[in-house]
Amino acid sequence: MRSQVYEWSNLAPSGATSSLRRTVDAVPVDVPVNREYDIFIGGIGNNITKPAETTATQFIVIEDIACSAYLGGALQVRINTTDYFQNPDVTDQAGVPGLASPYPRGSSDKAVADALTDSVQLLKSFDLYPDVYVLPGQVFQILYSLQTANTSTSATTVVAAFVKYTLYDGPDALIANKLLELGVTINPNNVDWYKRTLIEQQQRSRVAATATNGGSA
Amino acid sequence: MIIMSMRSQIYEWNSQTGTAATSWTNANSGNSVSIFIGGFGNNITKPAETTATQFVVIEDVAVSPTAFLVSGTAAVGTYYRGLEEGGPVGGNGVYGNRAYIQIRINTTDYFLDPDNVGNDGIPGAASPYPRSTDFQPCFNLYPDVYVLPGQVFDALVTCYQNGAFADAGTAPAKESSQLYAFMKYTLYDGPDALIANKLLEMGISINPGNVDWYKRTLIQSQSAPAMA
Repeated sequence: MRSQVYEWSNLAPSGATSSLRRTVDAVPVDVPVNREYDIFIGGIGNNITKPAETTATQFIVIEDIACSAYLGGALQVRINTTDYFQNPDVTDQAGVPGLASPYPRGSSDKAVADALTDSVQLLKSFDLYPDVYVLPGQVFQILYSLQTANTSTSATTVVAAFVKYTLYDGPDALIANKLLELGVTINPNNVDWYKRTLIEQQQRSRVAATATNGGSA
Repeated sequence: MIIMSMRSQIYEWNSQTGTAATSWTNANSGNSVSIFIGGFGNNITKPAETTATQFVVIEDVAVSPTAFLVSGTAAVGTYYRGLEEGGPVGGNGVYGNRAYIQIRINTTDYFLDPDNVGNDGIPGAASPYPRSTDFQPCFNLYPDVYVLPGQVFDALVTCYQNGAFADAGTAPAKESSQLYAFMKYTLYDGPDALIANKLLEMGISINPGNVDWYKRTLIQSQSAPAMA
């Protein structure tokens, strides 16, 4: 059971649009407007080698998402083919705006040159609670989109996104599944509680077996 | 001598402490460097490790923050909230060192990408040190990281922005553009380390409150009247 993070930005080596590893002095690249880009394999900025997915022995709980607060940036979570955030009429939406969950926290809502002197320090007005569960074998995407162009003739804006999640692996993933069946929230405390319950049950059965055998184990 | 078997501990690393030969320069960008024995900034005498009677719980890690703005609008060397824009000629809109911090236990990196490949760790933009109203955390290390008895642990800093270091600015700016890292951990020693191991076996989170609870349970069971 491990706390994990993933940070994406539209920074890539000069002349490229994406890279697998971060590179020194990378430069910002254009992110076309009103399109959703997977921050893992979207082909812009730093990417990973394959779509984000859980194996049969993994369980992921996404606990926080955040992105740059300017240019109308927003983040959507997609599990397999289903978008998590929807409008009340069940139509598609861009997801959580960067203004509601800014990254970095305390950053400004402007990225233009006069931001060098502005004093806006945004706080979050969104908390991803309840958390989002990614069950074993599911594919998940974090989709970034912006509404205003980040590139002009002379300048390109750096945009970034951030995901915090907990990865449950092996026996902890089995316990997470069991908690899901029981309708109990999956978090490290509850996984520990379930482990303790199992240990106590084993101890009770051992004592009962000893008593049944007339005091000999 | 005061015996304290459970102690809150911190370690702060400053890349520019020490002699010129051990101060961080642009040449280190892109390399991951240990904050304990990496050879740059302030270091300790040997790798960080637990003895057979120690248990360490790492509760927080942080590194210098980063800010993202616009490329090509401000010259390299411009400051934004105390962070310097470095990068290629003309600037890339990244202010600060673009630093990350990874925890390594023995030879295993703690933070992985979703494709199970080790990554650079926690970004300074998510867990900044120092914290301020300009740079606030959006990450807390929970669950904590346990370093079991006999394990070696390390914190590795990697940064990806040239020109944002002390050698690039004049005196006041120099200070603000240094690369820092910070680790907060609790050291359990002696009997408390034994209790920490016991709590681990029982699936109970290891923290000072739970160690005290276990001690109280032991004392209560000892002082309870014998069963007839």
